[in-house]
Amino acid sequence: MNGFGIDHLSFEVVMYVGAYGLLGIGALGMVMSNNLFRMVLALVIAEAGVNLLLVLAGWRNEAVAPILGVHEAGTPMVDPIPQVLVLTAIVIGVGVQALAVATLLKVYRIYCTLDVRELRRHLEQDICRDAGIAPDGSWEAPTIERPLPPPIPVQASTADRSGAAS
Amino acid sequence: MIDLLSVTQGQTVLPVVLPLLAAFLLQPLGRVAKPLALLLGPATLAVSAYLLIQLWISFGDTPYMLAIGGYAPPLGIVFYVDQLALLFATAVPILVLLFWSRGEDDPDPIRRDAVMLLLAAAGTGLALSGDLFNIYVFYELTAVASFGLVTLRATGAAYIATVRYLLLSAFGSVLALVGIAIIYLETGTLNLAQIAQLAPTALAGPNGLAAFALLLIGFGVKAELFPVNTWVPEVYATAPTRISALLASLVSKLAVLVVVRLLVLAFDGTGAAQLMLLLGALAFVTAELAAWRARDLRRMLAYSSIGQLGLVFIGFSLSGTAGLLAGLALALHHLVIKAALFGLATRWGGSLERLVGAARSAPIASGLMVLFALSLIGVPPLPGFWAKLLVVMGLAEQSTTLSLSALALILIGTAVEANYLFRLVIKLYARGEADAPAPPRPKLLDLGIASAAGVLLLVATVGVGRVSGWLGGIASQAADREVYIRTVFPPKSAAVAAGSPVHEAS
Repeated sequence: MNGFGIDHLSFEVVMYVGAYGLLGIGALGMVMSNNLFRMVLALVIAEAGVNLLLVLAGWRNEAVAPILGVHEAGTPMVDPIPQVLVLTAIVIGVGVQALAVATLLKVYRIYCTLDVRELRRHLEQDICRDAGIAPDGSWEAPTIERPLPPPIPVQASTADRSGAAS
Repeated sequence: MIDLLSVTQGQTVLPVVLPLLAAFLLQPLGRVAKPLALLLGPATLAVSAYLLIQLWISFGDTPYMLAIGGYAPPLGIVFYVDQLALLFATAVPILVLLFWSRGEDDPDPIRRDAVMLLLAAAGTGLALSGDLFNIYVFYELTAVASFGLVTLRATGAAYIATVRYLLLSAFGSVLALVGIAIIYLETGTLNLAQIAQLAPTALAGPNGLAAFALLLIGFGVKAELFPVNTWVPEVYATAPTRISALLASLVSKLAVLVVVRLLVLAFDGTGAAQLMLLLGALAFVTAELAAWRARDLRRMLAYSSIGQLGLVFIGFSLSGTAGLLAGLALALHHLVIKAALFGLATRWGGSLERLVGAARSAPIASGLMVLFALSLIGVPPLPGFWAKLLVVMGLAEQSTTLSLSALALILIGTAVEANYLFRLVIKLYARGEADAPAPPRPKLLDLGIASAAGVLLLVATVGVGRVSGWLGGIASQAADREVYIRTVFPPKSAAVAAGSPVHEAS
């Protein structure tokens, strides 16, 4: 091994740290960012991390690419299965990311924002309007049933009258 | 005779292949002959369902294995067929057919049909596959198909819900892939049977537990598991209700099935089971509390679905055949009931206040709703009671601190569940104001599905002994790791006796 052992060991450590580091950066980005597009980018980083991890799973010290008939017999080769898995994972990842961005565009065209907090508020409002209930926490729709004076018909009728008067 | 049998077994791949083929044929066919294309989807699913039912009838006592393309395991990919796999595989085309969207206002029915077929193909594959990475691919395909279906209504809210669901699901897939990478690092294989062979030594350590935790969280996104289920109420409230029914009843169970297979085959240590128990109990109690607060039917059903799946996870976390039996009973119970309830919610979705007095305009649907509510709570003669009893007794038997606290949480959660379901039932039978508009009547088709589910429930109530015996058989077969390994890697003498080597079977 001509003293390469230590170098390879540190190489492997660096690669593993890189793989888990990318995963960690991606995970943090998913959790901490409030912009949907940044979340997609964080997802891309995390996927790069896991792909690196998969490639490392098949990596061998001083091995060659697993192609028969090119190298002389008996040369150690890297494990081809994880490489195939990574190919599949990349393809799936690209598909899902494209779908994410496409849906994101639809969202942006409708609401003109990608801020998660604002979109959640819109979502809650839309769902409540769809269901025909007032949004959570508003005073005319408390979360539990309790007797209330009937404010809505009175207000509605005054509004009607004022509307008719004007 | 043997020839005939092998032909039939070979047909097990068709319910995966045919819908996949039809899905990609639909677009060109739709250009040429649209009415024909609209018929192709249901026809394909009917053929799949027929094939699977035939297989189910001719299925003996021994599970069998199919080497895809004739490449023998562990290098080739295998389908593993036992009663459990066949049960869920059969449920896929039948349920997709029952909840086939017949949206009249849909702008592009061909595309919708294609996505539905993809969901059916991937779901069947998920139930049958015996290869970890193959399972991952089918899982991703199921996920992408469900994203497409959730956006069918094309409202802004549906798009927001889908993006959030998609990001969470994709991140879950990344975690699952890390789990798969760890398993590959430890065992050097992706074949479930070979993983099962190597697991006692290779996956017993903390690395194995970490891999299981990652896979549990990853596949748990679809299975509505505790920390990764925030998408559930949003998606079920914005997606077409028939799609919600499919996701809640079917797709979630398929993800659970994958986790259970992994638990039985590779992670039978206590750590993995305890993790599942903990997450399941947390899911159950938090979801029931959230459902109690819900004021519209769709979200109430969504939260209740999370809660029931938490209970399913608790059931499967119990050790041995008893645990599998409990989980399986709960899973099937929930599959039937939640499908029917979401079916009824197509017309009844929206505020609970709208349902006041619905019993007068729709007496049968209201009666069915009461039946389902009682069974969900677990009122004695109904199947839900027996399923819950199995879980409670299993937890009491373990009598560790964790299992007893889970037991307490289940009882508290059930009380909450009873409260909100009774509130719903009281609304149905309340006397509404005289001039209030009558609540809408459910569609005949949904009512038919719900009635069938009700009849199934009552039959199971009457023949509870036979049903539990049948489920016990399925559970004991699925719980046996040796059978799985022996089926995929038959001992040498048996392989010679069977005649043809695997690679000639194609």
